[in-house]
Amino acid sequence: MVEREARLVRVVEHAPDTRSLFLRLPPGERLEFRPGQFISCLLPVGEKPPLIRPYSMASTPEDEELELCLNLVPGGPGSRYLLGLTPGAAIRLTGPWGTFVLDRAPDAEAVFIADGTGIAPIRPMIRRALATAAHPVVLLHGSDGVPLYGRELTALAGSHRLLRVDHVAGARLQDEVVRRWIDADDDRSRHFWICGVGVIVRTLRDLLRRGGYERRAVQYEKW
Amino acid sequence: MARIRVLFESGEPERVIEFDPAKAPFQHDGRPGSILDVLLANGIALEHACGGNCACTTCHVIVKQGGKALTPNEEEEDDLLDKAPGLTPTSRLGCQAVVTDPNAEITIVVPRYTINQISGAHG
Repeated sequence: MVEREARLVRVVEHAPDTRSLFLRLPPGERLEFRPGQFISCLLPVGEKPPLIRPYSMASTPEDEELELCLNLVPGGPGSRYLLGLTPGAAIRLTGPWGTFVLDRAPDAEAVFIADGTGIAPIRPMIRRALATAAHPVVLLHGSDGVPLYGRELTALAGSHRLLRVDHVAGARLQDEVVRRWIDADDDRSRHFWICGVGVIVRTLRDLLRRGGYERRAVQYEKW
Repeated sequence: MARIRVLFESGEPERVIEFDPAKAPFQHDGRPGSILDVLLANGIALEHACGGNCACTTCHVIVKQGGKALTPNEEEEDDLLDKAPGLTPTSRLGCQAVVTDPNAEITIVVPRYTINQISGAHG
């Protein structure tokens, strides 16, 4: 397990409790990762530090900086610590880790379903999918406020004929999934990548698998 | 007292841990009373890159004996194990397998490698 030390170089606020942290590794170092993977931050927090907390890369492997997009978790010591840092701060990390990945577009329609900040690992996956896609690529993003990366992804859809991006209220995700991909047709060749916080991820997974999609065609990451 | 015998593929000397499952959690990562919880509290640094939240496969262990004394696999654990290197029929994620039997006699093997940390060809 190789441990690295990155520097926080800038912070971008998406909403009062949601920010992107941009990290830079020492000169000459690069984190080779697969779209969808995460790093583990070793945080000097709690009674028995380090506190290990995983954060997905919202940036692509080709970007110069690592972008982590996170929101303040009520009572969560990891996010409270990270969101309290200012540029110049050091962050110890290991990785990349994780098997919720996309290396190339599937030989079928690719559907990404994100709930809130669950868009973070899906953002680089969409970029990779578009670079290799021969079939439609769809993003359904559920949000309760202004969608994260909403303008960027809508613009991307405007310039790629294979990409379709739809934003819906978080509470509508379940109904939309049933309407679009279970009730609408008998096509069960689609591949899904689902990411979000809590029970909604399992709910969507179960709907799709019980709705006739292959288990391995429904990938997910639940935070 | 429950007992976990820990064997290491790396060749490190084996360890035997005795504990009372009713006193879980023993530290803060993994399910309370899980193999990860017990090992970490006893000085065995089993990998757990996701913090013990069933989001990676780095705490993969192979249960050689006493698997019935552990809580059964759930779908999420099986989905992740699917992608674990060196998967066996008795593989478990240390963060999810909870010791419930106060008289459990469990033997596990900690695999040598963790290739969860991989970079694909497109890295």
